[in-house]
Amino acid sequence: MAKLLDKQRYKCALGAMQTVQAIERALPVLHSGPGCAQKLSESTGSSGYFSPNIFPCTSINEKDVVFGGVKKLNSTIENALKVIDADLYVVLTGCIPEIVGDDTQEVVSRFKDSEKPVIYAPTAGFKGNNYIGHEQVVDAIIDQYLEKTDEKEKGLVNIWADVPYQDLFWLGNIRELEKLVAELGLTPNTIFGYKRGIENINKIPKAEYNLLISPWVGLKNVKKLERKFGTPYLHYKTLPIGATETSKFLRAVAEFTGVSKEKTEEVIKKHEDYYFYLIERYADLFLENRVINKQFSVVSDAHYALGITKFLANDLGLVPAKQFITDDTPQSYREDIKKEFKELNFGIEAEAVFETDGYKIHSQIKEHDYHGYPLILGGYYEKELTEDLKGNFLNISWPVQNKVVFDSYYAGYSGGIRLIEDIYTIAVQRFN
Amino acid sequence: MSEIRQIAIYGKGGIGKSTTTQNLTAGLVEHGKKVMVVGCDPKADSTRLLLGGLAQKTVLDTIREEGEDVALDRILKEGFGGTRCVESGGPEPGVGCAGRGIITSINMLENLGAYTDDLDYVFYDVLGDVVCGGFAMPIREGKAKEIYIVASGEMMALYAANNISKGIQRYARSGGVRLGGIICNSRNVDRELDLLRAFSKELGTKLLYFVPRDNVVQHAEINKKTVIEYSPNSNQAQEYRNLAQAVIENTDFVIPTPMTQERLEEILMEYGMMELADDYKI
Repeated sequence: MAKLLDKQRYKCALGAMQTVQAIERALPVLHSGPGCAQKLSESTGSSGYFSPNIFPCTSINEKDVVFGGVKKLNSTIENALKVIDADLYVVLTGCIPEIVGDDTQEVVSRFKDSEKPVIYAPTAGFKGNNYIGHEQVVDAIIDQYLEKTDEKEKGLVNIWADVPYQDLFWLGNIRELEKLVAELGLTPNTIFGYKRGIENINKIPKAEYNLLISPWVGLKNVKKLERKFGTPYLHYKTLPIGATETSKFLRAVAEFTGVSKEKTEEVIKKHEDYYFYLIERYADLFLENRVINKQFSVVSDAHYALGITKFLANDLGLVPAKQFITDDTPQSYREDIKKEFKELNFGIEAEAVFETDGYKIHSQIKEHDYHGYPLILGGYYEKELTEDLKGNFLNISWPVQNKVVFDSYYAGYSGGIRLIEDIYTIAVQRFN
Repeated sequence: MSEIRQIAIYGKGGIGKSTTTQNLTAGLVEHGKKVMVVGCDPKADSTRLLLGGLAQKTVLDTIREEGEDVALDRILKEGFGGTRCVESGGPEPGVGCAGRGIITSINMLENLGAYTDDLDYVFYDVLGDVVCGGFAMPIREGKAKEIYIVASGEMMALYAANNISKGIQRYARSGGVRLGGIICNSRNVDRELDLLRAFSKELGTKLLYFVPRDNVVQHAEINKKTVIEYSPNSNQAQEYRNLAQAVIENTDFVIPTPMTQERLEEILMEYGMMELADDYKI
């Protein structure tokens, strides 16, 4: 029997149009019904060179279902190439053409000799959510655009991390990760955000290494890159937030890429010194504040749930209650991710729960004894709940309604400090 | 004015659904009945014998070329004895969704008022198997309430008939659709009559009529006519008149009880395997 899913935290695979949009001068060309893009395009910070509301779209109707929508798709791509100046055209399919069986691949292949590249990612909603859609887009770039090369650039590292727009801090995080990797003497290469785009996509095959910072999203992509270009990858599952994890991260990257220990420790020391200088200065805040919470829960995708849980437990010494992973993580990754939550400092273990239903998450939060005010880091859906529980709430995951994020970030040493600032800004507002 | 009897004809591809439907229609016309035949097959050959050839533009071709603002007389042609003939048609082979096409055309027929009160019968001649929801459109709520499955003593025809019954059973639970019986379009298989009777009984229905095999059917088809029109005095013409009579008189409508694959094969073994090896002669 069909069930109601309450407070879903993701969109359908076609939501990957946001992934395309995050690539500068890349254009989604939608082969879908007219309503799909409209419903999917509500993320803030997505206007600019192309607005999400004016993407070329076949807007297929009943006639196209019966007779197939390939003619319309052909003309939509043809005209998009004529009237929109982009560097990469990514055709994304919705459910209807995939069910009807339109041969999108064939239509797209008609444009293989066009001046600008046209590729196709199957993103029918029934294939999964926008995390899966994101992987499909990256796969399409690897399969259909990138070509093999013998040329390798020494020290070039492709970095793959957050899912753009779905993850609030995607831009700031990826920039911070680039900086950290660069400090080790490596050359980071990323494809999302300002001044990256097609030139950086072209560099992907030349990289010596792929670095994936994510519990599961993107693993499929780096494996594909390894098969196609022979590029080895490091799968670092935790988004490094704060000193403990970021230092661990830098050591892992250095070891994988052959950066010297000396160099690595020098970078780490520089950052840790400043980090702990700040922590020390605010020690009184940490020690004497009576309203900071003892226990916390994160409600978000696996990426943030894991990153934030490790940071709050390892760096701030808070006690993890249940952590809720809302991205509908594929079954095959779940056990592995659960294990990551058990590897915290001081012998602490966190219980990670894979749950997509907001009602069930809220019920479990309400049932738990947080030994004081709960600290809830989640989507906007948790705001009211936390208020009811007289807890402290921070909006760190989709949906986001009470904050504007341009390029802030939680990744790295300084990202950890930003997160402490955000949490304590809320805590100190409470009567002490 | 009695309600229109809306009848869907299903059966394995190539079993003779269209031939049987059109000859049956000709028989009903002789009884003074007003009949509409709706072809629900992208091949659009369900009304060829009534119209004297593939003389008609399909609903979907018309929509494709002229848009959705179509007048009824563009898609409905009059054939033998005043029968009204419609071909749903479909997309080109290999593209689009033929099932959705059938839904679109039946909806259009309804909107255009093709179902007039003077009709006694509407036949839906549906292709092959009930492969998806679109091909079940004629038996959904408010459409055909009566179904006949055309079968023969050949194994695959019975497999298909059993499978189609599963579809009928599904829709029977929620709507008023019922199985009226099996029509055998004989292939001169050994003990065909017994086998079909046993099979029908197992399905909880009856063998409505056994249409013998006769080459005149082939001749009539080549001449683009029903047997009743082509050779009105032939035995086969009488068989189709009898079939029409059986349909008119039929009052046994059931929810079928499809059998398991094992049971179907048991029946086939019992009736279908008549000492084959012993009889084999060159």
